[in-house]
Amino acid sequence: MSDTGPFHEAKPFLDLADPHFSVRSDAIALARDAHWCADTPYGLAVLRYDDVQKLLRHPSLRQGSYRWPSHNGVSGVFAGWWENMLLSQEGASHARLRRIANPAFSPKLIADLKPRFTTLAGRLIDAFVTRGECEFIGAFTEPYATGVICDLLGLPFERWRELADIAADMGLALGVTFKQDIETIDAATTRLYAYAAELAEERRANPSGDFIGELVAANRDKDQLSDQELLDMIVLAIFGGIDTTRNQLGLAMAVFIEHPEQWALLGQHPELARAAVEEVMRVRPTVTWVTREATEDFAYNNTDIPAGTTLHLLSQSAASDPAVFPDPGFDISARRAPHFGFGGGAHHCLGHFIARGDMTEALKLLAQRLKNPRYAGKVEWLPDSGNTGAIAMPIAFDPA
Amino acid sequence: MRIEVDRDACLLHGQCVIAAPELFSFGTAGDLVWIAEPGEGLRAEAEAAADACPEQAIVIT
Repeated sequence: MSDTGPFHEAKPFLDLADPHFSVRSDAIALARDAHWCADTPYGLAVLRYDDVQKLLRHPSLRQGSYRWPSHNGVSGVFAGWWENMLLSQEGASHARLRRIANPAFSPKLIADLKPRFTTLAGRLIDAFVTRGECEFIGAFTEPYATGVICDLLGLPFERWRELADIAADMGLALGVTFKQDIETIDAATTRLYAYAAELAEERRANPSGDFIGELVAANRDKDQLSDQELLDMIVLAIFGGIDTTRNQLGLAMAVFIEHPEQWALLGQHPELARAAVEEVMRVRPTVTWVTREATEDFAYNNTDIPAGTTLHLLSQSAASDPAVFPDPGFDISARRAPHFGFGGGAHHCLGHFIARGDMTEALKLLAQRLKNPRYAGKVEWLPDSGNTGAIAMPIAFDPA
Repeated sequence: MRIEVDRDACLLHGQCVIAAPELFSFGTAGDLVWIAEPGEGLRAEAEAAADACPEQAIVIT
């Protein structure tokens, strides 16, 4: 099968904009078998592991999702934040902001944070375990993800419900129903900006060594961190870690419900929890695509890609590519090539060490205390594209 | 001070290049290039780069 030569089949077309489109559909697997990429309403979708790996860090590409609001015909408060925060920056300004943010998410913090993750997870499980059932997102993944961020940023846990609701509303922007939900999204973003301003004021009055305290200190020199950049960064730190982790843990439970023998294995072998996080993210990532944009005309795989082309790198499709995973089934004990759930290159997820740490402790404890989990009602899902996950997941289980 | 990079673990993200441009860069072939024995004065930069590497491929001694 060759991508070169004078004869090549027309590229498949995948309608990524359709709210009913699933990144796990057979159409994707068929397209991937036939061609390395597909046309989409936005540009190109990249389907295979090797190509996603290369294009994540290709010098002719920049991070592309800054265009997501304009692709959806949307402007406003969320769009303004989105187009200016760290992920949408490039070059010198990106590097400056990333260097300021990096220390707050250092792997060195994990050793101290681990026992706090376990305590938080235990407390949440204690609240529902004897009932033998719960709504897993509301009872666990949401307060857990929010609690971790509160802990990391020095925010009071009592405000978690409010922050989780804001994050859920803002998260609607990262799916294909962005335009429909714009009022909800912008109202939530406005509330989060107000909270960020409150936090910045509080740290100015009472200087601290924590992340927001460090940002406020950097902001004294407006060239190092401007007033707007300060607020944008606080909003990112709060929003960025809540939605993603909440969704990823829900998706983890969904995968394990489909593979009960793997859940039993994890329960017996807690040392597999770290690998379980990676394997879950390989088969059911919350971030189903990573976006790039061509900064110049270039050629790749004998295809001319004009400047300005948006490429959606389908992390899900790539991480089940039979060329790299001849046995692609979910298996937490298998040795696996790296997945793309945290992206890659200059914009690799900032919070990934924290996320890997907190999801490891959560899955470890859940597998020990909730045996034989199964669905106890209808699961409500976000669209299976963009940033995905469960909105509500009623489960039943046998308390250990 | 010595900087070593595990080339098998390195996935060329370039976070080190962002964290410590004085020490790390991409070569013309897209490979990672670094100063193997920098002066002590750059230790903070070296450690920032080691910290930031998503694959934890950098060892500072």
